[in-house]
Amino acid sequence: MLVMSPSGGPVTVDSVPVPLMSRSWMVTKLTIRPRLGQWSKILVGGPDLLPDESNSIAVLYPVPNGGEADAFTVQDPAGKNSIDISQIYVYATIPGDTPLVDTFYYRTV
Amino acid sequence: MNRRELFGKFLRASGAAIEPEVIRASDGSYHGPPGGSRGSQLVAVMSGPFSTAGSPLGLSNLTQIPQFVAYLRIQAHPGQHGKVILASSYIYNCWNHFEDAAFAELWPNYDGRMDDGRSDTWVLQDVHWQNTINLADIYVYPEIWGETPLVTAYQLV
Repeated sequence: MLVMSPSGGPVTVDSVPVPLMSRSWMVTKLTIRPRLGQWSKILVGGPDLLPDESNSIAVLYPVPNGGEADAFTVQDPAGKNSIDISQIYVYATIPGDTPLVDTFYYRTV
Repeated sequence: MNRRELFGKFLRASGAAIEPEVIRASDGSYHGPPGGSRGSQLVAVMSGPFSTAGSPLGLSNLTQIPQFVAYLRIQAHPGQHGKVILASSYIYNCWNHFEDAAFAELWPNYDGRMDDGRSDTWVLQDVHWQNTINLADIYVYPEIWGETPLVTAYQLV
C-alpha cells in the first residue's frame, strides 16, 4: 500500500551553499525553514546558488525571537516523487547555522 | 549504569520496537483504511491537545499502531511556553539531543504578541486526499514536559 514517509532534519551550512543531499533522492514534498532562534537568513536555490543571493529561489528571514517561521515549500501536485533534493541547495548567512528541512516521499510497503 | 546509559539502552530498545509496526502495516494490521486508500467521507480521527506526558522522556509518535490519514495539522498550543519538535523515527538516533533530529520545530505562542497572535503550525496533506500519511511515523516532543500541541488528523473513510 502507498504511504508517505518522512525524512529530513537540520542541515549544517558552513561557508558555501550545500545540497540537501549528496546523492539523488526524490521526494514529493519539501519544506525548508530557518531554525527558530538562529539569526541567519536562509537562501534556497539550485546548484548555481551564490552566497550573495544570486540565483536564489527563496530567501527566508530568520526567526530569532519567536513567531511563525518563514518557510519555502514545494509539493508535486500530482503526488509523484519528482523533486530531487540533491539539486536543491541551501546557504545560511551565519556559518554553522542549521536550517530545518522536512521532506516526504511516497513508497509502497 | 548511569542515567544517560539507561536512557540510551531504553531508546535503542524502543527503536527496535518500531520495526514490528512496519511489518504489521504490511500485514494489514492497522487502524482504519489501508495506506493509499481514498474514501468519500472526511472524518477527524484525531483532534485536540496531544499529550506525550505518559511516554518515557515525553517523546511519542501520534499513534502506536499505524493509522493512515489524508491531512495532518500540528499547532503550537497558544499560551504554552515550549518549542515543539516534530521528527521521524530517526529521533531515536538522537536520544539525548532530540532537536538534532527535528524536521520541524514549532515556536511557542505564549502571550499572543508575535505574528498578531498566530500560532506556528505545521501542515501535511496528500494532494489526492489519499490516506497515505502514517500517524505512527510522526514523532512529537514538546520541550516542556506535559505541554500539549494541538493535533488534527483527517481521514477519508
